[in-house]
Amino acid sequence: MTQQEPIVRFDRVSMQFPGVLANDDVTLDIQPGEVFALVGENGAGKSTLMNILYGLHQPTSGQVYIKGRAVGRHSPAQAIAMGVGMVHQHFKLVPSFTVAQNIMLSCEPRRRGLFYDFKAARARVEQLSREFGLAIDPDAPVEELSVGLQQRVEILKTLGRGADVLILDEPTAVLTPQETDELFCVIRRVVREKGMTVIIITHKLYEVMAISDRVGVMRGGKLVGVRPTSQVDEKMLASMMVGREVLFSQLSRRAQAGEEAIRVESLQVLSDRGLGAVNGLSFSVHQGEIVGIAAIEGNGQSELVEAICGMRPIRGGQVLVEGKRINGMDPGAVRALGLSHVPEDRLRTGVSRQAAVWENLIAGRQRQRAFAARGVHMKRGAIRDYARKLFEKFDIRAPGVEVSAGSLSGGNMQKVVIAREFSFEARCLVVAQPTRGVDIGAIEFIHRSILEKRDSGCAILLVSADLDEVIRLSDRIITLYEGKITGQFSAGSISKEDIGYYMTGGRQDEEAMA
Amino acid sequence: MKELKHIFSFPFRKKLNGEYLISLGVSVAAALLVGALIMALCGHHPLEGYGAMFRGALSSPRALGDTLAKSATLCLTGLAMAVAAQAGIFNVGGEGQLYLGAMASAIVGGYLTDWPAWLVVPLALLAAMAAGGLYALLPAWLKVRLKVNEVITTIMLNSAAIYFCKYLINGPLKTTERGISAGTVKIGADFAFAKVVRLSNLTTSIFLSAAIALGIWYLMKRTSAGYEMKMTGQNQRFASYMGMKSGKLMLMGMLISGAVCGLVGMFEVFGIHKRFVEAVSNEFYYDGMLVAMIMRYDPVGIILMSLFFGVLKIGATGMEQIGIPSEIVLIVQSIIIFFMAAESGITAAVKARAVRTRARRAAQRAGKEAGA
Repeated sequence: MTQQEPIVRFDRVSMQFPGVLANDDVTLDIQPGEVFALVGENGAGKSTLMNILYGLHQPTSGQVYIKGRAVGRHSPAQAIAMGVGMVHQHFKLVPSFTVAQNIMLSCEPRRRGLFYDFKAARARVEQLSREFGLAIDPDAPVEELSVGLQQRVEILKTLGRGADVLILDEPTAVLTPQETDELFCVIRRVVREKGMTVIIITHKLYEVMAISDRVGVMRGGKLVGVRPTSQVDEKMLASMMVGREVLFSQLSRRAQAGEEAIRVESLQVLSDRGLGAVNGLSFSVHQGEIVGIAAIEGNGQSELVEAICGMRPIRGGQVLVEGKRINGMDPGAVRALGLSHVPEDRLRTGVSRQAAVWENLIAGRQRQRAFAARGVHMKRGAIRDYARKLFEKFDIRAPGVEVSAGSLSGGNMQKVVIAREFSFEARCLVVAQPTRGVDIGAIEFIHRSILEKRDSGCAILLVSADLDEVIRLSDRIITLYEGKITGQFSAGSISKEDIGYYMTGGRQDEEAMA
Repeated sequence: MKELKHIFSFPFRKKLNGEYLISLGVSVAAALLVGALIMALCGHHPLEGYGAMFRGALSSPRALGDTLAKSATLCLTGLAMAVAAQAGIFNVGGEGQLYLGAMASAIVGGYLTDWPAWLVVPLALLAAMAAGGLYALLPAWLKVRLKVNEVITTIMLNSAAIYFCKYLINGPLKTTERGISAGTVKIGADFAFAKVVRLSNLTTSIFLSAAIALGIWYLMKRTSAGYEMKMTGQNQRFASYMGMKSGKLMLMGMLISGAVCGLVGMFEVFGIHKRFVEAVSNEFYYDGMLVAMIMRYDPVGIILMSLFFGVLKIGATGMEQIGIPSEIVLIVQSIIIFFMAAESGITAAVKARAVRTRARRAAQRAGKEAGA
């Protein structure tokens, strides 16, 4: 590498959030004119580090330098003034405004200091568009643009503010492969022609190989390695990413799997954006086994779970639960077949935050004879007794069953969800991200509960972004990449590094090359 | 539109609790104080004014009867609002549902005069419930099926219903009776609710009102369906994930809400006016909405608050008698609402600030420890 003065320098930066050390003593130099890729698992601290640079967070210790100048408590406005621009994963655009209005937002050209000068705004956008070779229609309303073009508007907006350091936070997460290719062309062009510096956050390894000059790997808040991209391959990166030691010991396994309980046949499901999220998946889960889905976020596992649980329409293929076809069923009907579900997003789906803990624990049983006379009159005493029983059994730490679920910590809220779902005596269980944002103690408890369920003959589909968790609990592991199965393995037959490799689309690339 | 929706849905998230009741008391007291100040500024003695208000509302059997009748109307409209809100629907269309209910009952009562009262009155009740309920179902269905914002549709449907009724009483259903400028024909003489207190507006419909209020409280607080509606209103995604039929529950909440509004219209027709007239409602539903929102859709709270608002409303006439304009009472009402609205905003802001401060301190402490 050239020995220039770094354009951005992190000097022993740490960031403490309540309960989480998001960045742990990170020291990193970014050279001018390079494309630097920052990779790591979810929650490794990549976004936090970039948010510090962009002035959204103040580091708890350490120092950030931009172009040699120490910046302390700077705001995003100051970061922009110093030439640092950031394109967030979730676009910050006004949907009803035109492209020109969005790009010129907050620096609108005026006539006589008062009136919005639309002509000048359009001219400026056209000039920017020519200058950077990013074709766009200045008059198109942003809401009518594809996501790829919306991202282009975001990039132009950032460039229009005079940024020469461009931070892209998981820019390809929402893009189609074609849009991704276009984005990479743009990045190469701005770097080559304008001498810009680009920092790209991603967890897709082939993208790192395709676009970056250097790569930094983060794990658990620490920067564990920085390498020139030419000296690494995807396998090395994968092992650096997931290479932390297993927190927990291996657990007992049950070799004997019973009858088939969940069967997925050539399943096709669309994402919220209407793109194919699950593209022809087939597998089955048997009684008494845990099948783990290992995939990096956004590769179709969320849609898969929702489709199996009746929460998302099935576009092609079919899902059988206990031998019954569930296509077109609502979640209640699927539950009635004997399937319980721990959803990935407990705040949005798993609980009603305003409702009391007992109200969350009783959900799904509110019309049962034991809790409602004739299915109408709620037996408040019986309900509370039942809720208190679960409260004890699942060791929920809260002032009582009357407090709102929203006042509980993440771990205890998750225990409420687990307590409810595991008490339905269902024969099939779909568990998504069971320990996300949950403290260590609760993780142990939740893992034990899942294994108990398996030992009692339950068929369990486990989806988790935490690879250690998948490896620790699963009897079989399926790796997903872009809605397709890239590998199926029995537990213990594959190393974590290899799984990481398959999760990041490794096999597909080999096929493409072959 | 999203922003507007946010304003309207804000109170859904709030719970009626001790903390809130205290600040409610403070708000009422502050409002009465400001009202006193305004009275003093206008040259009236505040204590005399409030004295006249309470006397006007409570001192005679007739006043008491009027106050109770007013409270019953406020209570039912408030509960109608609350039952829809429990299922997550903001029904602003109660006024129109009330008008249609009144009209339906007036038609039954006005054209079936040869039929016996024991048949016509239940029939009129049913007609009012059906008219109000079905009219409420339309925006609910649009919301459930097509995600059309119910705030807009219910407001629009208000105008449609009210002008439709106005058309009927000035056109096809206009009575030929002399001295009535616009109205339907009179209902059969023996159909009307009997007065409980002579000369007052309090009729036997108060017993029905009490039963309905009790029924709604029971539905909202004690039944499985009420629980399911509550979960739907709080987190629709959660409710449907748990297997509840959230769409059906929303339709049901709105059906009940509209039916109750229709009944309020029927009580006005069969209790007071004996026919449909334009003045069948004087924005009764909007007053009920205010009571419901101030009490955060808590049924017991709504029943109690409607009594207080009944006193305020009827007491206004008492104040007028000693020369204080009844507008003062309107000002006091507005101030109470203003204080309550501000209360939730101020409390939220103070709490958010406290949380931020705590988080920052914790981060600083942790940083120091890490540095040490």
